[in-house]
Amino acid sequence: MTTQITTKPVKIGMLSFAHGHAYSYLNSLRNIPGVTVAGVYDDDVTRGQSAAEQYKTEFFSAEALLAQDLDGVIICSENAKHRPMVELAAGRVRHILCEKPIAISMADAQAMIDVCAKTGTKLQIAFPVRFAPTIQALKATLDNGELGQVFAVQATNHGSMPGGWFIDKTLAGGGAVLDHTVHVIDVLRWFWGTEVTEVYAEIGDSLLHPGLGIDDAGLLSFKLANGIYGTLDTSWSRLASYTTWGDVKIEITAENGIVFVDSLKQHLAVSSELVGKTRWHGWGSNMDQGLINDFIGMIREDRSPSITGEDGLRALEVALGAYQSAASGKPVQLPLGGE
Amino acid sequence: MKRVGILGTGNIAGVHLAGWQRLPVEITAHYDIFPQAAEKAAQQFGGRAFTDLAQFFDHVDIVDICSPSHAHKDNVLAAAAAGKAIVCEKPLARHLSDCYAIVEGVERAGVPLFIAQVVRFFPQFARAKAVLDSGALGKPGVIRTIRAGAYPRGSAFFANFELSGGVILDVSIHDIDFQRWCFGDVERVFARGLTFADQTKDHALITLRFANGALGHIEGGWASPPGQWRTRIEICGDQGMLEWDAEEDAPITKIMANAAGDGKIRTTSSPLGPDENPYYAELAHFLECLETGQPLRVTPRDALQNVKVALAAIESVRTGQPIDIATFEEQAA
Repeated sequence: MTTQITTKPVKIGMLSFAHGHAYSYLNSLRNIPGVTVAGVYDDDVTRGQSAAEQYKTEFFSAEALLAQDLDGVIICSENAKHRPMVELAAGRVRHILCEKPIAISMADAQAMIDVCAKTGTKLQIAFPVRFAPTIQALKATLDNGELGQVFAVQATNHGSMPGGWFIDKTLAGGGAVLDHTVHVIDVLRWFWGTEVTEVYAEIGDSLLHPGLGIDDAGLLSFKLANGIYGTLDTSWSRLASYTTWGDVKIEITAENGIVFVDSLKQHLAVSSELVGKTRWHGWGSNMDQGLINDFIGMIREDRSPSITGEDGLRALEVALGAYQSAASGKPVQLPLGGE
Repeated sequence: MKRVGILGTGNIAGVHLAGWQRLPVEITAHYDIFPQAAEKAAQQFGGRAFTDLAQFFDHVDIVDICSPSHAHKDNVLAAAAAGKAIVCEKPLARHLSDCYAIVEGVERAGVPLFIAQVVRFFPQFARAKAVLDSGALGKPGVIRTIRAGAYPRGSAFFANFELSGGVILDVSIHDIDFQRWCFGDVERVFARGLTFADQTKDHALITLRFANGALGHIEGGWASPPGQWRTRIEICGDQGMLEWDAEEDAPITKIMANAAGDGKIRTTSSPLGPDENPYYAELAHFLECLETGQPLRVTPRDALQNVKVALAAIESVRTGQPIDIATFEEQAA
């Protein structure tokens, strides 16, 4: 019976709150009947204990958490720690949801995919943008063929400079280009079942935040295997004075017309003396909930991940290719040669 | 009162003439390689039609060149040799060699040449530049502009890449000019597009690296459905940003029942007072500079660099490689 499958009890553990999405994912878990958050682990004990307290769950050591008979874990550590955490959890749990980007190097990403394959662990990468109804509507428009031949895609995934470990190259692996290349590249790969074959990039280090010490601006120009070309702006160009944290915009130029998608357009413009400026309050569907619903659905229905480790690796490869291009001043062919 | 002669009678000549008519000048002469076209313009706007360029020059103080870009070199050099003050439509010329010849020619003749890079006179673009210059946005970071419309159907000139240079040289040159005005010299350009894709459309996505390290992005399009036209500005600095989008920021929206009465037709508009009309404002600026000796907002060197960056972008589309502006020279046409 479907109802039995959909309410089957599921126990999830949270590995690290380094990435703020952990809180959103945890909230999403709590919205699903039959899902229990069995506990949390964080190598930053203070942060982990505070999260455990806030969500009325238990703080464990990593070993103790993995001994809780979990169905799955959600990893929201710093990017560089995705690999050790996946290696720790693989085989101890059958399902892992790992925050993007999958890792900071191709070798790390491949090792994560391999250990999960070897231990029969299902690895899903957290690309919530696929679950935004605006992006799904664009995919439906592309799939039904009404646009005819698609020529070009012009995208932006602007953001605010996140600070903290995000600007520490050892932990993050890169700045704005790594942070914001992978979301849009993932949805483009998903739209057309294709791969990026070439990337060129102009990257700005400390361009928008003097003294930052890491890339905070990036313009990628790429070619897809299906012949479509495009650009993506990954810059952390939204400062605190802006109305919101950033944007995800995708604009398509095709044979029969053009389509603009601004996935944060569903908002109220709220002006408050208490804040001193106008802020956007989004009211669109929560794509994080869509992602978590899908992850829990995979566990309950025993199906394959909708977004695989390979998807994570291919998106990462484009970002790494962009850095190579900026360093060499030339377009870089993908897949990358052996590292 | 200065006497103005219009050289070339295409669409843009009518736009310029509407501007001249509101200025304290006398429209005295029209010239076109098709004499009937010059006659028609003279009947409509006043002044005389000429079939001989030397006679045309004898009757004017200002020559406004509205001929196709491949004719600019001969027209500008002739006007310069006649010692006239010159307005010339953008782009400066179709090829770099012509641009060099024009700049050299007017400098030698010592006559003013104003290239009508009209976007600097659009009020939203001029205001954006003023905000940037005020320091409100801090240091230049990333500038993005869009200029995208429908394919210019029915125009043999625009459809012929050899003559027009396609969407990059005809349309994106406005954005190249605006972005250079805002962020300074361009060091490198990379572009992808449909220019050589054998389509009845043209489109380009252009990235710029400025000499000051800042980044630029330009979308140029002749690939939208008929009637569609969009421009957009976004300038980000280290202290703030500004954005404007014609698609979203029109002050007037009109929604009418369609002819069948079973649907609607939605149109938007953004009217300006006559003095803010950019095609009037650019000519008023030129006239003021002539009279006061103030520097022109667009110099011949600006116009030359705009063409150089545009042709380098086209070269990037063709070769798939980034093009260094300082060392770029156009291959012999």
